[in-house]
Amino acid sequence: MLSTSIVKQTAFHSVIGESSIIAPESERKHRNIVADLLLTALIDAFSILVIFLLMSFSSTGEILYLGKGQELPKAAAGDQLERNPVVKFDDGKVYIEDKEVSGDGLVEALLDLRKKFQETRPGEEFPGMLTVQADRRVKYEQLSSIVQASAHAGYSDIKFAVVMK
Amino acid sequence: MSKKKHLEFEINLIPAIDLLSVCICFLLLTAVWLHVGALNVKQAVGGQPASESVKKPTVWVQLDGKGGVAFDVRDARVPAKLAKAKIEGKEGKPDLEALKGLVTDLKAAEPALTTVLIQPQAATLYEDIIDVMDSFKKEGLIDLGVAPL
Repeated sequence: MLSTSIVKQTAFHSVIGESSIIAPESERKHRNIVADLLLTALIDAFSILVIFLLMSFSSTGEILYLGKGQELPKAAAGDQLERNPVVKFDDGKVYIEDKEVSGDGLVEALLDLRKKFQETRPGEEFPGMLTVQADRRVKYEQLSSIVQASAHAGYSDIKFAVVMK
Repeated sequence: MSKKKHLEFEINLIPAIDLLSVCICFLLLTAVWLHVGALNVKQAVGGQPASESVKKPTVWVQLDGKGGVAFDVRDARVPAKLAKAKIEGKEGKPDLEALKGLVTDLKAAEPALTTVLIQPQAATLYEDIIDVMDSFKKEGLIDLGVAPL
């Protein structure tokens, strides 16, 4: 049908193409569309990707949620972050486990957390650990109340959240 | 007539590619690109009679708002020059190089020195406190404390 169509009959033919010695257009064979893919190279690349991603895999999950524009200070000698009550100072407000607390109610809220721990785990010693999350540009006068409140509420082990260098 | 067995065979790589693709997708979704750690600080809670407490060599460090660091080493046998040393700030930040040198000298003079109590001022930046604490930790002074205002 195509050979008799008007398109075929009126189509321009390349003179250079037809007179080519190496591969004349008129005698060129159809290429085989089924191409052999080099799967070994693909598997090599995938394996390297998997190894790299496995190295950066963390089983602890997300403990801290960084707010927009919040930058943690950097440190090289930090330890691994553990799951503890998080006191966050963000935009002039103090949050305990993402619940806003007033400056005066900080000690009370920490004591409530301690009470809950003792109720849910009777007989277990209270670890007194607390994670403090704050922007690196904050002045100490704004953080001092958190340090003071944690000491009052019996949290002796404060962990300042940092980004590892 | 016995037919010859083909010794050449091809491993089917498609399941391997499927498996690796699923692995990559899962790992990309769960990858943690920002490594968050913690600097531990031990705070004194409650009181203890002075007679019961054993005096340990301690460094009291005062941080001002301009990056200045003043040392006061107590209950340790260190030269007076080191015990009352002061490092001026560098462009408003603590001079970490000088601080590292001084802490190394202190540790060499008194190897039992592990306790540091940091006393920042109201204008001291949180970042500067962490930098100073990090310098101490790197040099083996691991028992850190921060005094409230």
